[in-house]
Amino acid sequence: MRGLSDPRKARVEALGNWFTYVQDNLEFILEELVNHLQIVAISVGVATVVAVLLGAWAQSRPIVRALALSITGIFLTIPSLALFALFIPLFGIGNRPAIVALVLYGLLPILRNTVTGLDSVSPAVVESARGMGMSPRQQLLKVRLPLAFPVVMAGIRVSTLLIVGLTAIAVLVGGDGLGSFIQDGLTRNGFPNAGNAVVVGVVFTVALGLVLDAVLATVQRVFTPRGLLV
Amino acid sequence: MSPEPKIHLDRVGKTYPGTKIPAVEDLTLDVHEGEILVLVGPSGCGKSTTLRLINRMIEPSNGRILLDGEDVTKVNPDKLRRRIGYVIQQIGLFPHQTIAQNIATVPKMLGWEKERITEQVESLLTTVGLDPDQYRDRFPKELSGGQAQRVGVARALGADPDIMLMDEPFGAIDPITRDRLQNEFLRLQEELHKTIVFVTHDIDEAIKMGDRIAILGDRSTIRQIDTPERILAYPVDDFVDDFIGTGSTIKGLNFLKVSSLKQTDYPSISDADPCATGVAKLDEAGLEWLVLVDAQRRPLRWLHRDELAKSPASYDDLGEDVGDLLNSDDSLFHALELMVQSAAGQSVVVDKHGAFAGVVEMSHLNKAIRRAQYEARLHYEEMEANA
Amino acid sequence: MTGVFSSSLGWVRNRTPVSTTPPEGFSPDPRRRNAAELIDRWGLWIAPVLIAGLAGLLALYHRSLDLESAVMQQRSALSWSGKLWPQTLQHLEIAAYSTLLVIVIAIPLGVLLTRPAFRRVAPTLMTVANSGQAFPAYGLLVGGLFLLGNGTATVVYCLALFALLPVLRNTMVGLDGVDRSVIEAGRGMGMTRRLVLTRIELPLAVPVILAGVRTAMVLNIGMATLAFLIGGGALGITISSGLKLNQDPVLIVGAVMVAIVALTFDWLGAMAERYLRPRGL
Ligand SMILES: Nc1ncnc2c1ncn2[C@@H]1O[C@H](COP(=O)(O)OP(=O)(O)O)[C@@H](O)[C@H]1O
Ligand SMILES: [Mg+2]
Repeated sequence: MRGLSDPRKARVEALGNWFTYVQDNLEFILEELVNHLQIVAISVGVATVVAVLLGAWAQSRPIVRALALSITGIFLTIPSLALFALFIPLFGIGNRPAIVALVLYGLLPILRNTVTGLDSVSPAVVESARGMGMSPRQQLLKVRLPLAFPVVMAGIRVSTLLIVGLTAIAVLVGGDGLGSFIQDGLTRNGFPNAGNAVVVGVVFTVALGLVLDAVLATVQRVFTPRGLLV
Repeated sequence: MSPEPKIHLDRVGKTYPGTKIPAVEDLTLDVHEGEILVLVGPSGCGKSTTLRLINRMIEPSNGRILLDGEDVTKVNPDKLRRRIGYVIQQIGLFPHQTIAQNIATVPKMLGWEKERITEQVESLLTTVGLDPDQYRDRFPKELSGGQAQRVGVARALGADPDIMLMDEPFGAIDPITRDRLQNEFLRLQEELHKTIVFVTHDIDEAIKMGDRIAILGDRSTIRQIDTPERILAYPVDDFVDDFIGTGSTIKGLNFLKVSSLKQTDYPSISDADPCATGVAKLDEAGLEWLVLVDAQRRPLRWLHRDELAKSPASYDDLGEDVGDLLNSDDSLFHALELMVQSAAGQSVVVDKHGAFAGVVEMSHLNKAIRRAQYEARLHYEEMEANA
Repeated sequence: MTGVFSSSLGWVRNRTPVSTTPPEGFSPDPRRRNAAELIDRWGLWIAPVLIAGLAGLLALYHRSLDLESAVMQQRSALSWSGKLWPQTLQHLEIAAYSTLLVIVIAIPLGVLLTRPAFRRVAPTLMTVANSGQAFPAYGLLVGGLFLLGNGTATVVYCLALFALLPVLRNTMVGLDGVDRSVIEAGRGMGMTRRLVLTRIELPLAVPVILAGVRTAMVLNIGMATLAFLIGGGALGITISSGLKLNQDPVLIVGAVMVAIVALTFDWLGAMAERYLRPRGL
């Protein structure tokens, strides 16, 4: 390492240290990564189903629509730890209160994009579908939702990123996930590898977010009706 | 022509960064004090670029620009722009400011006193035909397109600049309102005598608004610059001819006055005269129609030879209505319109007392047009000879 | 913006504003349409009533706990004057300082990044910033602890960093969204760049910037809940005591207090958005 100044040398060493730490704890990291992913997948999945159905139903019903958007907005305003905590009396500690809270967080972006996506479908297209004798359900499934799909997907991506970050807090209410490493680092503050643990928690969470977003972006592109691609 | 032009572009050029072909190339152009010079040409030919070079919204790549003989290519551009009015198609009113605040923009920057600004705003609103009490405190979104452009013009007149630059100012306005605004603006200009450079892509607007028109080709090259009537009478090449389009001759009639025609003595009889007088006059002139006038010589009706030949007891109920009458300062375009409507294929001219003065017929128009074309050609030949 | 209860999380809210009422020609029943418009219009005034109701319920619940005879841990954790009120003040203090810091940094930065000289780098910078959207707040705080030591100041710095993006993005979006012809007209009248910025661009961007500030504020209030993790105090302490001591009442009181604070300030933000926008827009 001749020629490197001292701070730089220290930095290079720290990086090497971190990789060693990751290698040594790869098994745990993978385990928590999978746990994290699981929580995210369940939350996003449930939020998507609920929000899309709710959106499709509420879009043309002004009162329901205004209420649904307002109430899901409230969920997003309540600080995450508070919302997690509120479900502990109901579900005990662990992943369950976290998942319920995360679902509530994930609703608004998807709901809103579903509603805007459906709004933006040209009335002329819906009119002609009706003119061809499609039932309201067929109009929704065959015409309106496919056309709104890219916008809905954009909402799902926003929710996913949001939930990936928030899941790190699940550990505070007894849940799993990559937040464990941050907590681990915090409790061992001052001891060796505390910093490395925190960095693992952060880096793998952000990386998970980027990967999931890339996957969803691909899904969005592949399944967008060809005629809608620009 | 005044000796020193108000605006002088001296071999000005502009090449946008990242492009090879210049948007404006080697342009030399004079704008005289108090005239409206219209820059007209196809879209993308560099009209806006040329205009924006004058107030240095764009810096020229080469050449000089002189206002009142002063080279302004080096002065502070912000200060320069405060003495030049600038109106654009999108108007660009400040949406968060009231109409009064919008109009006060430049006076405020120039440090005018409050009362003077208030007065100026009032007077400008009145000038552009908006009631100050009603519009002063409105916001731009509370105006129609036409009203907004009036405010745009008022704002450009804010500190009473000598020079106005207008880039398709009426381009986004519906045809009827546009026509009204154009007329009002011309009336305004008669009072204000600003030096105006006016950009449009619409040749009809150019003909209507311009004291002179510069027809521009690619890279803002001047294909022809002259008065509208001469351009219409004598397009110098195919480019200009194509651009002014079909009907240019007829448009040219707009610029010729009835008074410029030599009206031949035309047979007329008073309603007190006997029929025989009329027939005699027709025989003498070798014509089929004559004009029946009343005791004050005001034209009443067209009478045809056959009707006179029947020697009716009275002229009442005979002949055809003379229709609308021409005044001597009406345009030949108007004359043409009346002529095609009239039964005799001719239209009747009266003097300023309403008395019968003569008749305009198709052959007169034909001669007038030919004369205008001849004079224009002569003008260009002389110019070429002098060059 | 729609009612007070529309979401506040930065990049969640700032994508596409959406009307709570469907577009024209939707509802067959005009009465229901009107009802929805009323919700839209009066949401801002209904919100404080609902929040006050929630606070009333919490007060009743707090009283019903009968703290005098409750276990020692509950009694001390739920003392209004000893714990809850000071924690609330601390919570607000942290959120206020960090929001202020965000404003002071993000708005000038946003202005800078929209000037011609920096226009080129802005998209790259935003892409990098966006890729960190899943960044866990928890990790940021603990990282801050390691680098800067514990305490309120560290919390404020970390929060400001976390909430920087919405204000930065909204400042840039707001400035970029100003109609070019309005700027052109201003320049054409001889306004200097500085005048155009301060008299035209910034005032016109105010609504969008305010939305970003509201977002940042609500984010900060949320994150301040985690301040206890690194010795920053605030209402998170009550929640955490409830968790540690396994006392549901403490947990509930703490969580509802936090929710009330967040909703109140979101409402204030919504009021600011509605009433601080320049007239004429
Ligand atoms: N800011 C610019 N950068 C590069 N090229 C430009 C710019 N503005 C205009 N141009 C180009 O310069 C030419 C003249 O443009 P412009 O003056 O706007 O034309 P006009 O107003 O006659 O329609 C066009 O080819 C246009 O594409
Ligand atoms: Mg143009």
